Amino acid sequence: MTKYILKRLGTSLLTLLIILTVVFILVRQMPIEGYFDNFDKLDQAVINARLQQLGLRDPILVQLKDFFVRLLHGDLGQSARYSVGVPITAIIANKAPLSIRMGVISMALSLLLGIPLGAAMARSKSGFWDKFGTVFIVFVSAVPSAVYYIYIQSFGSSLLGFPMLFSRDDWRTWILPVFSMSLGNTAYYAMWLRRYMVDEMNKDYVRLARAKGVKNSEITMRHVFRNSFVPMIQYIPTSLLYTVSGSIYIESLYSVPGMGGLLVDVITRQDNPMVQALVMIYSCIGIVGMILGDLLMVVIDPRISLKRKESAR
Amino acid sequence: MKLFKRPKDQIAAPLEQGVSAEIARLVTDADFVVAPYNPDEGERGGYSNYSYWGSTFRSFFKDKVALVFLITLVALLLFTIIQPLLPQQFEANVIIDHPLTKRQMSNVAPAWTNVIVEAPAGTALVVHPFDNDLWAAVDNIVASVKARKEFTVLEYGDEWCRIAYDGAEGYVRNDFTTKIKFPEDPLATPYAAKSNFALNVYTTPADMSNKGDALFVLKRQLAIDGDTAVTTERAQLRLLPDTRPFLFGTNSAGQDLWAKVWSGTRTSLFIGVTVAALQSLIGILIGVLWGYVKALDRLLTEIYNVIDNIPTTIVLILVSYIMRPSVQTLILAMTVTGWVGMARFVRNQVVIIRDRDYNLASRCLGNSTARIITRNLLPYLVSVIMLRLALAVPGAIGSEVFITYIGLGLPLSVPSLGNLINEGRKMISTSQSYQLVFPTIILSVITIAFYIIGNAFADAADPKNHL
Repeated sequence: MTKYILKRLGTSLLTLLIILTVVFILVRQMPIEGYFDNFDKLDQAVINARLQQLGLRDPILVQLKDFFVRLLHGDLGQSARYSVGVPITAIIANKAPLSIRMGVISMALSLLLGIPLGAAMARSKSGFWDKFGTVFIVFVSAVPSAVYYIYIQSFGSSLLGFPMLFSRDDWRTWILPVFSMSLGNTAYYAMWLRRYMVDEMNKDYVRLARAKGVKNSEITMRHVFRNSFVPMIQYIPTSLLYTVSGSIYIESLYSVPGMGGLLVDVITRQDNPMVQALVMIYSCIGIVGMILGDLLMVVIDPRISLKRKESAR
Repeated sequence: MKLFKRPKDQIAAPLEQGVSAEIARLVTDADFVVAPYNPDEGERGGYSNYSYWGSTFRSFFKDKVALVFLITLVALLLFTIIQPLLPQQFEANVIIDHPLTKRQMSNVAPAWTNVIVEAPAGTALVVHPFDNDLWAAVDNIVASVKARKEFTVLEYGDEWCRIAYDGAEGYVRNDFTTKIKFPEDPLATPYAAKSNFALNVYTTPADMSNKGDALFVLKRQLAIDGDTAVTTERAQLRLLPDTRPFLFGTNSAGQDLWAKVWSGTRTSLFIGVTVAALQSLIGILIGVLWGYVKALDRLLTEIYNVIDNIPTTIVLILVSYIMRPSVQTLILAMTVTGWVGMARFVRNQVVIIRDRDYNLASRCLGNSTARIITRNLLPYLVSVIMLRLALAVPGAIGSEVFITYIGLGLPLSVPSLGNLINEGRKMISTSQSYQLVFPTIILSVITIAFYIIGNAFADAADPKNHL
């Protein structure tokens, strides 16, 4: 167990290192305008001095070494355009908690909505809930989220009277963004839970239980649901990735002062150091999510042996 | 040639002849004609006329919903291709100006025709100078009353009032747009009145102008006398000296949305289909190598773990950020991440069937690896490859919308569903919301159709569902 975890962490660290290096080198290919607040007004001498000062004139490997050394000191550099000269870590430390809170609430909401929906779909096979759920799932998975988010915002504010823009202290402004963010994952959970439950219901032990005269509700809750829930755990990391990419769009749509909206902002303003830092942070979230998902599986279902999983790879 | 016959042969020869004569009598050529298929006989002999593709298509066509979407999608695809060839189309990027005022025809509401109003025979019109053989620029505004100027009301009506002003006589609107201040008893005409707004005085109680600008009518329907004219027959007054309608209206820049939407659909479909094709090509190639060549397994698995850990959106953003926005950039950005899923899938399937006996036999018979892969392995994967292809198209179209939203998408001169939706988004709570609605409808139909067809086809192609 410990050996597996250590190995898993080692691979992830290596992955992280590769990703950081690749992102770093790629961002170096950007035009240098992205390092200056007012590039057009500067003369060549100032530009050169600034590039020198930032170390952008050094060979790429030296830059890379400097970058990692600074990273180990917890320094991601300074913003060049978004808010000039402020350390990026400070900006992010200011914005991240809101994004995290919103993401966690929306993931909880999607579990809360998706699991009953999936269970209802499996129980009423080809009944109302099944049809309703299928239409919902097809719609959410097929239509680009960017499109229905816009309509949710518009109808939510014009018909239901929710505020269009986010404000931290007004709980009503949380409803629309959190709800939109959870839709994709709700459909995802419902789809998989339904599939696993239908598979489980066709198994022999369920038939036996039914033949014995066990109540239907008891079979569903005690056997089918519990057994189908375990494989669902592996979708939590994926759904974390969904939430992350959803948050980029939604935070900017509702002007939520979080990290996702920040990414869109710094992209439009072409702030190279900020883009680099945020892209790196988002990649890390992905990796951490994957590790957590793998570990969660082991913790929740003791039947899963990690040895077997390794040899299957 | 034998020199002498053995006694054994002397006995055998006639016997042999007898037997072959008997066989020739019993077995005729008619016995070797292919019999028609007979299910009862087939069952007895364990034969079935099962054909994989036949069954696949049969079960696919049983799915009515998928069939409807297939027909819709094919019709839509054909239409996007032939739309520019149809008569009466605008160019997607041409800004349409009013021929007289040179103002952009922005935010024109969608309509079946560009006829704004029909003038009955005998309507008096004002002709504006417009150099055209076929069309005349007209309206029925004889004068305009400046704001807060006094005029004489000759006749009062709930919607239109007849007034006299500065030697001209005509009708003005009486509604919230004009807010004329009337005395206590408005019916006791004539009296003086005024409004806080500028008023147009029309020859008839009808507005025959494009918000004060001239409309266009065929010259042969008019009796022109200097700068006035009278319609000689029932005449249609049009928005432009042209019969082309703005079916989807125009956008705020004055471009025809119908042309833009179809042009955008072409761009988005092109991106979607190209990305899907490239993803499958690279995915299949790498997936087969990954699964079949054991020496590569370790390396490719590690590469996969690295790529799979990064959110796709982030890679998409990074690649589009670094490169100049263009169709090629978008295709590259989506292909960079998209092949991974396909490759892993193909790899898993290949690993499962690689060492089956028939592949072993095939190798023992001396078939090359390439032949084993293309003949023995890939046909197994067709159904799922098709599914992933079908799902990659809506995925790519959706990514395009997303990338455009965050400001890294195509420039407005290259219409795509992404930038049309992004532009229309700004209009959502105004009366111009059609600028968002039309692109979203087309986009949703395309993506839902691909999704449903893909899933239905994958179900149909799964031999477990063939009965």
